[in-house]
Amino acid sequence: MALTADSAVIRRLMVRPGPAGEDRAPVPASAAAVSAVLRAFGRSPRDLPVRTVVYVGAHAPDPGLAPEHEGFTVRAASAPGRALRLAHQELHDGSADFAIVAGFDEPEAGTITVYAVKRAAEAVADGDTVLGTLDLTHTADHDAAPGLKALRHGHRATDPDRHRLLLWSGRDEKDEQRVRGELLPLLSNLHREGFPALPTVVPCGTEPGPVRGAAVTVAALSAATVHRAAAVTTRRPRPVALLFPGQGSQHHAMAAGLYGREPVFTAAFDAVLSHMGDEGPRIRADWLTDGRPRIPVDDVRRAQPLLFAVDYALGRMVIGWGVRPTAVLGHSAGELVAATIAGAVALPDAVAMVMERVRQAVRIPSGGMLAVAADERRLRPYLVGDVAIAAVNANQQTMLAGPSEPLAEVAERLRADGLTVVAVPATSPFHSPAMAPASEAVEAAYRDIPLRPPTLPLYSGYTGELLRPEEALSPRFWARQITDTVYFKQALESLLAADDMLLIEAGPRQTLTAFARRHRAVRLGAGAAVPLLPGRPGTAEADRQSVLTAAARLWTEGHVPDPVALSALWTWTATPPTRHGDAGSAPRLASTAS
Amino acid sequence: MTATTTTTVTLADLTRMLRESAGEEEGVDLDGDVLDTPFLELGYDSLALLQVVGEVQRTYGINVPDDAVVDAETPRALLELINSGQISAA
Repeated sequence: MALTADSAVIRRLMVRPGPAGEDRAPVPASAAAVSAVLRAFGRSPRDLPVRTVVYVGAHAPDPGLAPEHEGFTVRAASAPGRALRLAHQELHDGSADFAIVAGFDEPEAGTITVYAVKRAAEAVADGDTVLGTLDLTHTADHDAAPGLKALRHGHRATDPDRHRLLLWSGRDEKDEQRVRGELLPLLSNLHREGFPALPTVVPCGTEPGPVRGAAVTVAALSAATVHRAAAVTTRRPRPVALLFPGQGSQHHAMAAGLYGREPVFTAAFDAVLSHMGDEGPRIRADWLTDGRPRIPVDDVRRAQPLLFAVDYALGRMVIGWGVRPTAVLGHSAGELVAATIAGAVALPDAVAMVMERVRQAVRIPSGGMLAVAADERRLRPYLVGDVAIAAVNANQQTMLAGPSEPLAEVAERLRADGLTVVAVPATSPFHSPAMAPASEAVEAAYRDIPLRPPTLPLYSGYTGELLRPEEALSPRFWARQITDTVYFKQALESLLAADDMLLIEAGPRQTLTAFARRHRAVRLGAGAAVPLLPGRPGTAEADRQSVLTAAARLWTEGHVPDPVALSALWTWTATPPTRHGDAGSAPRLASTAS
Repeated sequence: MTATTTTTVTLADLTRMLRESAGEEEGVDLDGDVLDTPFLELGYDSLALLQVVGEVQRTYGINVPDDAVVDAETPRALLELINSGQISAA
């Protein structure tokens, strides 16, 4: 993917530090200048991403310039062009996540040009305004600042047989009927080819009214679907919380219908895989193959990296619609996605944490997980050896985990006593004491990872409550997650006690949605749960249809998702096409998560 | 032995068993027009359905293959499956 090899300039400005006047003397590249550069974008240096590096490009840098300033690494190069090239190189070899590049006396004496540069895929995933990508093809003059190319990420491609969204609103019920009445003849008389080009929201250009309608449809059925749609009178929209599922929710080609068809999902997914080294392309190939994957998706080496990538990319996509979550909650491995979205861990670090878990998990003798239709107390007497309560998901839904043989014996006894038991697709005994050696090894590796308190409320399945800063900063807290019990039910309880929420499940299947729908607050209608993806594996078009239905739900809730961002789902295709075939995979049992 | 071949499982029976399976003290609005509402929308995943089918087998002596349960997405589909399966229980 070209995007993952590019560096994006997301801010650029010129600073003239000296007194205004004709005489422009060269600016000394001093410590004071670096302090100014760090503040050039109006952000406190404290709020800059971890691994922010300042690159100073100056023909005559101050010899007193230290390699570290205000806690940031400072790298000097002999010219602005060289500094940008060095930044590009270090962004892609992993030494920097965010580059502030200061070109001294660029473009003229007395001026500093300051660039903020990120890896392009992450800039797109994070919704940054990309001014352009660094054009490093002309290598003749390394001193000169490279030019900017327009960001090239996919292109417009429309197909009237693809599903799209039609959103409309009115000031009151009568006005809604009027708006819909104007939309209907337009749809009946429309040339098919014109269907994808219709505006996403009508009436356009005015503030949406409180009475809302939405339709997810193809050209041929559009008039009938819009005609049938129920109008909803919105009140104050409930705040959105994102739910990220974990092991057990995976399936072959999960969410692949969005890959190459939704730009933010695609960029975020590729960004995640770009941090997996040589394994990244293999994981992608196994994900997209129409044949047999080399390593099946239920294997921990595929399930964990792919769930992280899919959950994360879906979360970024929803945020890219302009919907800012007010809280996040992940189940098991999903909690690390929540932490990444909440800013507690930088993306490359989170991916490193996932891969370290996988490395250590494969060294543990194989095991498995079971979902049982019973509560925790009922199951306690059955536990033997390393077989443990892995997760408390909902009323009458508990998971057990442990080494293969004893777990099979426990399953036998449970079934003999008339309990309903389903094997969860997993090859490791996650959330059981059998994982302890892995947990210890992982903890040692996590000590080098820069952790921060989350900037969004994160509800933790390990405490059942709001994550506290000291937990967020503890390598042990994150390492213990593969051994400890997940109290998802309690965490959801805490989340729903905080406010009436619209919960959006950002991951494959609808496992967490089903748990949430069993919750009292959701059953009584105070809260609501909306899945992004289908409940069972299906076609690529079904993935998109499901996402559009969730976007429609946000609209009828009273939110105003960005219509331009939404329209990418029926007007955008990656270049070169990375499209996955529409081959569906066989439906499979066990929609329980870990 | 009592023959159970004439027993028909009704929506009311199914509703009661679903609530029990999910440990619900008070009702979801399962009484409305739920026959064609997908189970997932009602908050019931495959585990809850298998639990209910187990209950049906024990209480009514009706045999329902587990694989088929997964394909029954709505109460109507599940009831049809259950009530067509009772021949085997004779």
